[in-house]
Amino acid sequence: MTSPAAELTGITKRFGAVVACDNVDLELRRGEIHGILGENGAGKSTLMKVLIGLVLPDAGVIRIDGEPRRISDPAEAAELGIGMVHQHFSLVEPLTVWENVILGERVRLDATAAKRRVGEISERYGLAIDPDERVSDLSAGLRQRLEIIKCLRRDPAIVILDEPTSVLTPGESEQLFEVLRRVVERENKAVALVSHKLDEVLAATDRITIMRAGAVVDRRGTGDADAPGLARAMVGRPVSLRSEGAALGHIETFEDDPAVTEPAVEAAVEATEPQPVLSIRGAVARGRDGRTLLDGLSLEVRPGEIVGVAGVEGNGQAALSDLLSSLLRLESGTVRVRDTEPPPGRPGAMAAAGVAVVPADRHESGCVLDMTVEENLTLVSPPRARTGRALLDRAARALLDRAGRQAHAERLIEQFGIQTPAADAPMWSLSGGNQQRVVLARELSGDPVVLVAAQPTRGLDVGAIEYVSERLREAAASGVGVLLISTELEEVLDLADRIVVIFRGRIIGEMDRVNLDVERLGLLMSGAQEEAS
Amino acid sequence: MVGDFFVAVGDVLSSETTYSSGWRLAVALAFVAVGEWIAERAGTINISVEGSMLAGAFASAMGYDASGSVAVGLLIGAAAGLLVGAVQAHFSHNLTANQFVVGLTLNILVLGLASFLNSSLKPETATAHVFEVPGLVEIPLLGPALFGQPWPLYLLYPLIPLAWWLVYRTRWGLEVRAVGENPQAADVSSIDVNARRRQAIYVAGVTSGLGGGYLLLGQVGWFEDAIVGGQGFIAIAAVIFGGWTLRGAMLGCLLFGSANSFRLSLPAVGHPLNSELLSSLPFVLTICVMALFAHRTREPQSLARPFIRGLR
Ligand SMILES: Nc1ncnc2c1ncn2[C@@H]1O[C@H](COP(=O)(O)OP(=O)(O)OP(=O)(O)O)[C@@H](O)[C@H]1O
Ligand SMILES: [Mg+2]
Repeated sequence: MTSPAAELTGITKRFGAVVACDNVDLELRRGEIHGILGENGAGKSTLMKVLIGLVLPDAGVIRIDGEPRRISDPAEAAELGIGMVHQHFSLVEPLTVWENVILGERVRLDATAAKRRVGEISERYGLAIDPDERVSDLSAGLRQRLEIIKCLRRDPAIVILDEPTSVLTPGESEQLFEVLRRVVERENKAVALVSHKLDEVLAATDRITIMRAGAVVDRRGTGDADAPGLARAMVGRPVSLRSEGAALGHIETFEDDPAVTEPAVEAAVEATEPQPVLSIRGAVARGRDGRTLLDGLSLEVRPGEIVGVAGVEGNGQAALSDLLSSLLRLESGTVRVRDTEPPPGRPGAMAAAGVAVVPADRHESGCVLDMTVEENLTLVSPPRARTGRALLDRAARALLDRAGRQAHAERLIEQFGIQTPAADAPMWSLSGGNQQRVVLARELSGDPVVLVAAQPTRGLDVGAIEYVSERLREAAASGVGVLLISTELEEVLDLADRIVVIFRGRIIGEMDRVNLDVERLGLLMSGAQEEAS
Repeated sequence: MVGDFFVAVGDVLSSETTYSSGWRLAVALAFVAVGEWIAERAGTINISVEGSMLAGAFASAMGYDASGSVAVGLLIGAAAGLLVGAVQAHFSHNLTANQFVVGLTLNILVLGLASFLNSSLKPETATAHVFEVPGLVEIPLLGPALFGQPWPLYLLYPLIPLAWWLVYRTRWGLEVRAVGENPQAADVSSIDVNARRRQAIYVAGVTSGLGGGYLLLGQVGWFEDAIVGGQGFIAIAAVIFGGWTLRGAMLGCLLFGSANSFRLSLPAVGHPLNSELLSSLPFVLTICVMALFAHRTREPQSLARPFIRGLR
């Protein structure tokens, strides 16, 4: 038998008191997709970074094709045929697609040849993209596609993907897995796939390694694995069925029996008679390039209800969330929050009226990586500023009342189970999922009138999804109007009392939880108009 | 008082020398700004350009004194500028010292050193001869300003398109832009972030040294401690003023150079006006522009942030 493409033995890495990897063994074989599963902070990314040369292990040996190697630099890893798609986008936004793809090569710059190369890779793997587009104009799905093209352009023998689907729609994820299958079967590459999503790992991998708190707790062939078992191994305790369902991507949770609704939900449905806390009427907005973002969108949220906005990514969800973060001006239409009419686009107006927003791109705009966890937790509902500069302003103001802030932060860390060595650890030292929890904790703790949650469980593990879902329900039960914007249908189905479907910048259909028709919902999401509403 | 001011403005604007001297002053700034623009695109606010410029001016005086050749003087000036840049680059992007502290220290150091050496060595210098570009110098009003100048000035003309080409058309330029925007992404794409940043500072050192040489051999003619007098800083202001585009930076140089010549011309045409006030004009203008266009200009996202792997 030939030696595996990569073999890691006894890898240990400590960050201060945190043991991110604890004597980990991992074997990546050619022609196989190897799933690496684990909670937020389990050490998955750290392990992958050891392989790509971004983190030097304290102990352990890496063998590539049987040869022991010391990888201390991504360039060395690239030479050994290792490529990685990182958990957070590693693209340079102001540059174009082709410029990003060839970044780091050594040959002379030749735009035509580079674009041709992008075209070839696109075709070979079925990943269509326009090489001349600027990355800052790309949707999350296209950015991920670009990351993958960038990784594959050097024809690596070992491909590492760190949670590649956390920003993808289900359709896009499926497409990605098809590409991976092709890569593995046709080109005999070894693939490592890091993920939280059990269904994904079950469907796409050949072998699974499960990590918890830095150590490998289980290892099995995908054929011998089942979802509840994996979830238990990952979290270390049994997980409630519902959130497991969300993590699994099952929509049967209540499709089986839609009539059964808990008392809390009943109460919420009854409470839908009073004045809406949020009402958007005929919102029309255009992007800088003249593209229509919102096209007469109207929508209401009443106190105590969770309204789910379902739809395929890129149909105006981002604009809707921007509108409610005061980042988008309207050409026409109004936004009412309870009795006030905050002018759309005026910085801070929505927040002042009581709208809290959990942005979808939390890592990009929801937190300031150079500041401490405590500071990030206590900045109040920051408007989404590109550079986070606006956050720094607020931080200056928040310097008052240090003790109160500290206590508050520590409470949130405890409540949300944020894994951090200390409240004043820098934000960048947290694992990806834990950074998300910080943003969630801050927004959910702000006592809002309206809570907008865009993709709130993106990148979270089963345990955290459970917690977030509970918190959203709790918020609704306490009279907050919750607007849940999500491209993951099962999440919407699981949480929402009422579902509206967004398509090309407008709401094209609505249905109650009690009269749910999943098939019609699917049709609506793909743009099929309703005959009668 | 206000009336006086307008009379002064009228006198200055009708004086031919204003344009020509405005252009000369703008060129000195532009030499520095071209390099500083590249350094900033790579992510460094390289305040040592002031020191590079002064070192360049003094070294070119020494070079001219020793060789009797303006060309040799300029070459040595550029080398001195590079040396200052190299020290800055090493300390800020190899040893990760704070780039501003390093720059400030260097500026003070160079000033002291040049002043001491000048008083003890007293180099003999002169100005380069004026070269009139045949034909072009005939262009009315602007001809003499653009094409009837001491020849080192013309070095700037090819330098600007060259810088543009370097940044936008070469792999090196692509990597420079990438490390200024998102060094983490550049790093994982196997680009040596700090090497690119150092190289960009070397370029700024060379052009600033050249700018200093031009100032001495193309304009002033002798070395004095105040020969640079903050022009390096004004060039930095021009880059910011120009919103980190080459065109904008050059426009800033033109504006600030003209303002400076205006200030110098006022007493010459017999109007004592507070010139200290006027000399603050570039900075006031830059602040106004930043306030007005802050939302439109896009600074390199990692400007002035050191890169250490693992930090985020
Ligand atoms: N550079 C660093 N400095 C300090 N601590 C770090 C650093 N990088 C990671 N850690 C810590 O190591 C642990 C493991 O982090 P890692 O990023 O590997 O988790 P993960 O399994 O990828 O989690 P997630 O699913 O949230 O992305 C975390 O507790 C994290 O806080
Ligand atoms: Mg991770």
